[in-house]
Amino acid sequence: MTAQTLIEILINGISRGAMYALVALGYTMVYGVLGMINFAHGEIFMIGMFACVYALGVFSLMWGDHAMVNLTLAMVVAMVFSAAYGYANERIAYRRLRKAHVLAPLTSAIGISTFLQYFIFLTVSKDSVNFPRYYSDWLTNNHLRLGPADVTYLQVTILGLTLVIMGGLYYLINHTRMGIALRATAQDQLMASLVGIPVNRTIAFTFILGSALAAIAGVMFSMYSNVLVFDAGYRVGLKAFTAAILGGIGNIPGAVLGAMILGLTEALTTLQFGSEWNDVTTFGVLMLVLLLRPRGLLGERVADKV
Amino acid sequence: MAMSRWRPYLLGALGLAAMTFPFLWLELRPDFANNTVKVAWSPAHGLKFFDDLLPVFVVAFLIWAGVRANRQWGWSDALERNAAWQKANLAGQHYWAWFTMPLVLSGPFFLSASGTGLLTNAGIYMVLALGLNITVGMTGLLVLGYAGFFAFGAYFFALTQEQLPYFPWWMAAPLAFPLGGGVGYLLGLPCLRLRGDYLAIVTLGFAEAFRETIRNLDFAGGDQGIILHDYSMFRGFAGIHSGTMCYVVTALTLFLAVFLVQRLYHSPVGRAWIAIRENEIAAASVGVPVVQMKLLAFSLSAAIAAVAGVIYAAKDGFVSPAMCEFQQSIMVLAMVILGGLGNSYGALLGAGLLYLVPEYLKLLPSTIQDSPALAALVPASVRDSLQDLSNYRLLLFGAVMVLMMLQRPQGLLGSRRRKTEMLHP
Repeated sequence: MTAQTLIEILINGISRGAMYALVALGYTMVYGVLGMINFAHGEIFMIGMFACVYALGVFSLMWGDHAMVNLTLAMVVAMVFSAAYGYANERIAYRRLRKAHVLAPLTSAIGISTFLQYFIFLTVSKDSVNFPRYYSDWLTNNHLRLGPADVTYLQVTILGLTLVIMGGLYYLINHTRMGIALRATAQDQLMASLVGIPVNRTIAFTFILGSALAAIAGVMFSMYSNVLVFDAGYRVGLKAFTAAILGGIGNIPGAVLGAMILGLTEALTTLQFGSEWNDVTTFGVLMLVLLLRPRGLLGERVADKV
Repeated sequence: MAMSRWRPYLLGALGLAAMTFPFLWLELRPDFANNTVKVAWSPAHGLKFFDDLLPVFVVAFLIWAGVRANRQWGWSDALERNAAWQKANLAGQHYWAWFTMPLVLSGPFFLSASGTGLLTNAGIYMVLALGLNITVGMTGLLVLGYAGFFAFGAYFFALTQEQLPYFPWWMAAPLAFPLGGGVGYLLGLPCLRLRGDYLAIVTLGFAEAFRETIRNLDFAGGDQGIILHDYSMFRGFAGIHSGTMCYVVTALTLFLAVFLVQRLYHSPVGRAWIAIRENEIAAASVGVPVVQMKLLAFSLSAAIAAVAGVIYAAKDGFVSPAMCEFQQSIMVLAMVILGGLGNSYGALLGAGLLYLVPEYLKLLPSTIQDSPALAALVPASVRDSLQDLSNYRLLLFGAVMVLMMLQRPQGLLGSRRRKTEMLHP
């Protein structure tokens, strides 16, 4: 293996991992605050993918094809749509079942996820839709030299965006009023409500924030893989959720670490055995981590879950 | 005042309309020449969606009206308090098997071949729902990749038949039971020591990994699956039609499974499962071996799924990776939830409803067409929308799962006590 392939594999893995990380953050934040798995999160990601393409179509009707402007605006639209779906998910599937048996909200979230998948299946397309290449060409065809290897602008964008978002998230959780409210709600909902924290609004905010991040990941992913399918959310969601467990669910740096490990595992599997074995190695890594470190790689501190 | 009561509903409806607007009322038109995409206004698109779902809205309204009427006049309460009904109910529970068993077993005598086939499939789903109910309903552990074990059993049968020439077909089911249980045990071992949620994701990952593996292995037939040469293994019996034979085997397996599960449920093991479901810490503190009991429940349900898989493969003579898709797992889960979590008869009812209703809906349009009286009575548009309704099956499953959890978390055949347990643990 030459240095060039090694670096390319690394960069490939890290940029895949970065996309998984953006989705995994949504899982881990909701788990940190509510102690429940948000099974519909993958579908929120998928809604972001499709909302972006619809927005691109509408914008090109409204003022023509300005690739970068339209793409940026479409990403914002995708974030708004995903956030709306995330909020609806919280209101419908979670809020009334917050105090119920663990199985109840889990089941209703699976119901939402199935519903959304087949809603898109029935109303948008049964087959895959191609991402309009006109908008992504500039990002995927231009390269940046990094030593002996080439890195596409898209990969640079993905990494840059993920880093910026991580920084923003760190600031939000540790240095703002909302972050304090989030951490308090995660520790004890009743206590938080007694000291005047709007618990309902805080939980809704968590869902909205996670969904908007998933939409960014969705737009990046649809440019990266070039296809949009109604069950893409399920596949990527499964990976991201595995990543969140790998890192220790409820732990934000853990989710990013787990996603990176997963991305690298996939890149190496693709190199060694071919991409059709990705799910098998992912599952192997998950079982290994659960055997050796049952709480995940970074999931030892129980007190501060967010 | 009246306005303020309806405001949240109005706002919610408006919000949902805005959220779904592009997907329902706009159409994507890819522009291949320029690699861009255009969007077109297409009201026919959205109207068709609502038009197809019209029968569902009507049925939903009728159910809602029925529930409201029951709440108003207390029919079901009166029935439950009626001494004669209670007595009949109790007596019936003990002797039902002796009445239903001959009735079910004689099914092929008065059913057509296709009817027998449908009921056989329903029976296999019932076995699956019964098995899943042990983990999800009785022990309170969520399993999301249940179809993985089903496919494991089916592939076990297909591979032993194809690769081992002297392997007797009747050995497959007795061997699949311990093997499936062993796979379940190995999967449960690392994650059942942890929170219950982990089992959900590990089984889901298992089903996916299993599917990938069989798709990529040449001797397992790849994407196309395996077609068994000596088609139905149950044909060897003196002159009996193979469909009938499959039906009888399925029915006997089902009775065996019901018997096994019900005996376990009313034994100390079953009590331990319920205790774990209700409160794990409390159960552990009164001496229930929590991890062992969870492992037992999970491996038992995996074993039952593997046996169901063997029967399915023997019946159809065909296995494919599509058998362990997520939709399959979700369908079985929806059956258990609809019927009533933790209630074996509920699981049977849920499986029967969710499998047979869509199948009969598929048959209904041709039935209407064949009978002149019905064809005159039912307008053609209604017939067409019934035709399309089967596409909406999984969409409706999703909606039913959400509504069920919100309104009747104990399922169709669940006690009121179970509802309080679900909503206020």
